[in-house]
Amino acid sequence: MSDSTHRIITLARHEYRSAVRSRILIVLLGILVTVTAVSVYIASVDYASKLADYQAYVNAATTSGLDRIAPSPLAALSLLRGAMEYIEIIGAVIAIALGYLTVSRERTNRTLPLIRSRPVTSGELATGSLLGALGVIATLVAVTAVVGIVCVGTIGHDWINATQALKLFLGYLAAIVYMGAFYCLGAIATAKSRVAANGLMIALGIWLIVVLVLPQIGDTMDADNQIPGGLFKALGLGHDGEAQILTHFTTYERIRTWTEEASLAKHFERFSFAMTDVKERYRPFNLPWLLGQTRNDIGWLIAYSAALYAGLRRTFRNQPTIPQGGTQ
Amino acid sequence: MIATIASHQVLSLRRQRVFLALLATLLTMTALAGVLGWSSHQTIVRVYDEAVKLLASTGKPAPPNPFLLKPTLSLLSNMVVYIPLIGALLALILGHLSIVDDETNGTGRLVFSRQITRTSYVLGKIASAAAVLAVVLAASLLVSVASLLVVNHTIAVGDFGRLGLFYALSWLYLMVFALIGMVTVLMTRRRSIALLSAMGAWLVITFVLPQFTSGLRPTQSLNPITDPASTSQTFFKVTSKLRPYSVVEQYKQASGQILQTATAESVGQTIQRILPIAGLVLVLALVTVRLVQRHDFSRSANSE
Repeated sequence: MSDSTHRIITLARHEYRSAVRSRILIVLLGILVTVTAVSVYIASVDYASKLADYQAYVNAATTSGLDRIAPSPLAALSLLRGAMEYIEIIGAVIAIALGYLTVSRERTNRTLPLIRSRPVTSGELATGSLLGALGVIATLVAVTAVVGIVCVGTIGHDWINATQALKLFLGYLAAIVYMGAFYCLGAIATAKSRVAANGLMIALGIWLIVVLVLPQIGDTMDADNQIPGGLFKALGLGHDGEAQILTHFTTYERIRTWTEEASLAKHFERFSFAMTDVKERYRPFNLPWLLGQTRNDIGWLIAYSAALYAGLRRTFRNQPTIPQGGTQ
Repeated sequence: MIATIASHQVLSLRRQRVFLALLATLLTMTALAGVLGWSSHQTIVRVYDEAVKLLASTGKPAPPNPFLLKPTLSLLSNMVVYIPLIGALLALILGHLSIVDDETNGTGRLVFSRQITRTSYVLGKIASAAAVLAVVLAASLLVSVASLLVVNHTIAVGDFGRLGLFYALSWLYLMVFALIGMVTVLMTRRRSIALLSAMGAWLVITFVLPQFTSGLRPTQSLNPITDPASTSQTFFKVTSKLRPYSVVEQYKQASGQILQTATAESVGQTIQRILPIAGLVLVLALVTVRLVQRHDFSRSANSE
């Protein structure tokens, strides 16, 4: 192991240990795990009843000697939709809080200049801090995943198979990358502000725009969302009619798509929904096809995260190595 | 003395440009709601025109224009989403800054070296937050009226009254969060922990409670038009008893009634929806007064 790797691992361990000692973080984690459990519980109870209905249909069809039995329209992984949505919203806030704590803790304890007085480069500091935070995030995501899977199995009476487990793994891996990007945002905004709490406010403002406002604008601009129950349904048009009419709205649809594409949260949502069978149109297809369909979202997720990581390295490089007057 | 504290706080917010930031954000948000409403109007009209042509070409009769089913004020229905999302967060920050600066700057110690009672101090702080929110919401009301005039070329007196009521309700709702911002500062020692605690409370009120009591997924809260979730499970039979206390749902429902964008219900039912919000404001105000009475202002809070 090279000296650089050793230093990065040491910094990552320091970050991990410090983060898990924070009470506010524990409270936020508690909220996330509780709401995940409740959302999956609610979905699983409903699912168990639908699964029982389907099983009764299969039994009746088998008894009556039917050769062709309709496949189940149910998808166990879709029960995790609420869990993914909570990661998208609350998970991002937790990641920002982690990033904020990384900088404010070192500032308050005046340990940042101490660390920088050692032979540690800004790149090693950024990488070590990010790896430690990713460790915390991975632990959190693993806990919510286990809670979700156990709820689906025990309450929904449908344990996931190996293929579903792989898809779920990829969905949660995307969650870690997504939260990692918000960690970088929280750390950058805090490090760039003289008063750490102001940096936190700026990061939360960006979170508000990226996670809530841009997807909301995109959803609201959707022509079909203009009337309760759907505009095209109200006009008595089916899918073909809708597609035909939307050919007259290409510029409008392009603006709507750009608005949604600007949001990192929307890319995470699309990918995680594809991996958890939330959208019915994705259910019949295998994993390579799904990855091909969502390659744009994967690309954006990686691009946003890489850009924010580069920003973190740059910000840490520009941090003063000697204590500055006051932390206001 | 209450007026002196309040005017000092308003002046302080103006000098920090918090007031300007609040005003700019809320006005942008209102203008955005107007633009989205206008875009929605145009889209529906154009989709309807195209649908009529398409159906005529297949020999089918034209359906009624769905836009005629939309109430006039539905143009601003996005405001019912933006107030609990953006407005509430801004109100949290407003409440937070109202108290936290006195802690970190040591102004609190200086203030209480004068003949000022703690009750006057806290009432002044609450009054300043209420006044700032009232001014920015009044400005939002004007932008909303302008949006309606641009799209509809006219506004009925009744609609103007409804808009006024909607913004009055929004003011009440935002006061909940301004007070939460104050309470969390008074209950914690670090300013960042206070801010994160207030954020946690906002997340629970805005996203978690509606899921517990009505089965609304978090992203459903972002769309002004949502299909009702199934709540026939035993779980909801228990939790739905708490629905009157889910203030964000009550705010959205009452706003829907005022703007006539929701299924009509009696005035009494709408008032019943507003009462828990008013009750929460009252309770939080009392808690704030109580916490200020006990607070040790000689100890400066950690600026981080």
